[in-house]
Amino acid sequence: MATKDNLIQVTDLKKYYNRGAIKALDGITVNVQKGDVMVVIGPSGSGKSTFLRSLNLMEMPTGGSIIFDGVDITKKKVPNEKGKMVKLDIDKHRQKMGMVFQHFNLFPHMTILENMTLAPIKVHHMPKDQAEKKALELLGRVGLGDRAGAYPIQLSGGQKQRVAIVRALMMEPEVMLFDEPTSALDPEMVGEVLDVMKELAQEGMTMVVVTHEMGFAREVGNRVLFMADGKLLEQGTPDDIFLHPQHPRLQEFLSKVL
Amino acid sequence: MSVSAAGFAKTFQYADMFKEGMLCTVYLSFFTVILGFLLALVLAVMRLSNFQPLRFLAMTPDGHLREEGFLAAVGRFNPISFIATVYVEVVRATPMLVQLFIVYQVVFSKNVIDLPSVTVLGFLKLNRFLPGVVALALNSGAYLSEIIRAGIQSVDGGQTEASRSLGLTQGQTMLYIILPQAIKNILPAIGNEFVTIIKESAITYTIGVQDLMSAVKAAQAGTFLVLEPLLVVAAMYFCLTFPTSKVIAYFERRMRRGDQR
Ligand SMILES: Nc1ncnc2c1ncn2[C@@H]1O[C@H](COP(=O)(O)OP(=O)(O)OP(=O)(O)O)[C@@H](O)[C@H]1O
Ligand SMILES: [Mg+2]
Repeated sequence: MATKDNLIQVTDLKKYYNRGAIKALDGITVNVQKGDVMVVIGPSGSGKSTFLRSLNLMEMPTGGSIIFDGVDITKKKVPNEKGKMVKLDIDKHRQKMGMVFQHFNLFPHMTILENMTLAPIKVHHMPKDQAEKKALELLGRVGLGDRAGAYPIQLSGGQKQRVAIVRALMMEPEVMLFDEPTSALDPEMVGEVLDVMKELAQEGMTMVVVTHEMGFAREVGNRVLFMADGKLLEQGTPDDIFLHPQHPRLQEFLSKVL
Repeated sequence: MSVSAAGFAKTFQYADMFKEGMLCTVYLSFFTVILGFLLALVLAVMRLSNFQPLRFLAMTPDGHLREEGFLAAVGRFNPISFIATVYVEVVRATPMLVQLFIVYQVVFSKNVIDLPSVTVLGFLKLNRFLPGVVALALNSGAYLSEIIRAGIQSVDGGQTEASRSLGLTQGQTMLYIILPQAIKNILPAIGNEFVTIIKESAITYTIGVQDLMSAVKAAQAGTFLVLEPLLVVAAMYFCLTFPTSKVIAYFERRMRRGDQR
C-alpha cells in the first residue's frame, strides 16, 4: 500500500514553552510517506498533540523543520517556482492537511451542510450547488445523508465526529491529522468513528493518528510512533511495537494500556 | 412640591415639543448605535490583531522566534493594537461631558470642521445634532469594543483551529465563525449598552441638541412647573428603554435555540 514518496519530512522538531522550561517537543525526526497510517502513542503530556498541531502550524515550532510537499513550512519565506523568495502562504498548506479534533469543533451556528460547504465555497470558490452535492455524497457514505439540515447540537458525539471527518475531506486533503478522535466519545460510539477512519485508510489516505485505541493502532496502522517527554523513543511496525517493544518506557507504557 | 392633574394638563400643552424631543432622542440613539457599533468592531479587531511589524527584530539568525529579552518584547509590539488600547482607555477614563465639549467646541468648531446651519430629518439642527452623535458614538464605541472583545475571546479556541485547519484565512474565520458566535454571547451586554446610549444621549442637551431634555426645559420655563415635565420625560425615556431591552431579550432567546452545550 505504501509507496516510497515522502509527504512530510520532520527534522529535529522542537517546541518549547515558558522559555524552554517545558520541552513539549524535544527534537523529533520522522518521515510521513504517502499512504502511511502513522499512529502516535504515548503517555499524557508526552507531546503527541503538540507534534500533530505543529504539522499544520497550529503551533509555531521553536526549532527544526517540516518539509511538506517540498516546502519548509516553518520558514517565513520560501522560494517559489521561479526560485524567488516569497512569503509562505500557510493557508494554502493547511488546505492540504485535514484535521480532526478530540472535541469535534463543528461550527454550532451552522447546519451540517453549511459546516461542510463553507470552506470549499470560500476557499476553493466551488459553486454552492456543487459543494452541496459533494457534501451530501460524503454524508451518505458515512451514513448521515438524512442529517444535512440538522445543527451540530442535534447529533450524537459519534455522528459529530463523522461529520468532522467528512468536513475535512471536503477540501480533498493530502493528509489527515487526527488528535484523539474517539477520546471524547461514549464507548458505544467509538466503533462507528474508527470504522470510518479504517475505510479512509483502506482507500489509501495518508493519516497521522494520535490515539489510545491500541486495537486500531495494531489493525489499521502501518507505523507506530512511541513518544515520551517530547522525544520519539521508538518507532516501527505495529508488530515491532506491540510484540517486541525495546525501550523500557514503552514496555512500561504497554503494560499499563494493554 | 406637589403633583397636580392641572400641572400635567399644562405640561401637555408642550406635547409637540415632547414629540419632537422624543424623535430626536430616537434619531440620536439610532445613529449612535450604528456608528458606535462599527467603531467598536474596528477597535476590537484592532486590539486582537497580530500585526507585528518589528517581528523581524525578534528573529534569531536561523529564522526562529526569540522567546525572551528586550528584542522579543519589541518584536511582539503591535502598534495597531496599541493605538486602539490607548483610545479605549482614554475614553473610559475621562468624563463623557468633557468628550462631548471637545467634539462640539473643538472638532466641529469654525476653523476645523465647519458645519452649515441647516436642519436635517425635518427639524434637527445639523451643527448640534451631528457633534452629539459623533461624541456619543466615539464614547460608546470604546465601551462596546470591550464587550465585543470579551465576546470574541469567549468563543472556544477550537473553533478558530477548526476553521484555520480548513484553510480559511484569519479574516474569514473572524467573519464566518467567530463573530456570529461572539455576538450571540454578548447580546445581553450589547442590549445594556444600547439602553445606556438612549439614556446618556440626554447629555447632548448641554450643547443645544433639541432632544427630550430640551423639551423639559421649554415646558418648565413656560409653565413654571418643575416636577410634572420631569415626570413626563422620565416616563418617555422609560417607554424607549424598556421595550428596547425586551426586544433584545427576545432575540437573545431566539438565538439560544440550536445552541451547543
Ligand atoms: N500552550 C502551552 N503552554 C505551556 N505548556 C504547554 C502548552 N501546550 C502544551 N504544553 C505542555 O507541553 C507538553 C506536551 O503537551 P501535549 O498536549 O502535546 O501532550 P499530549 O501527549 O497530547 O498529552 P495528552 O495525551 O494528555 O493529550 C505538556 O507538558 C503540556 O503541559
Ligand atoms: Mg493531546
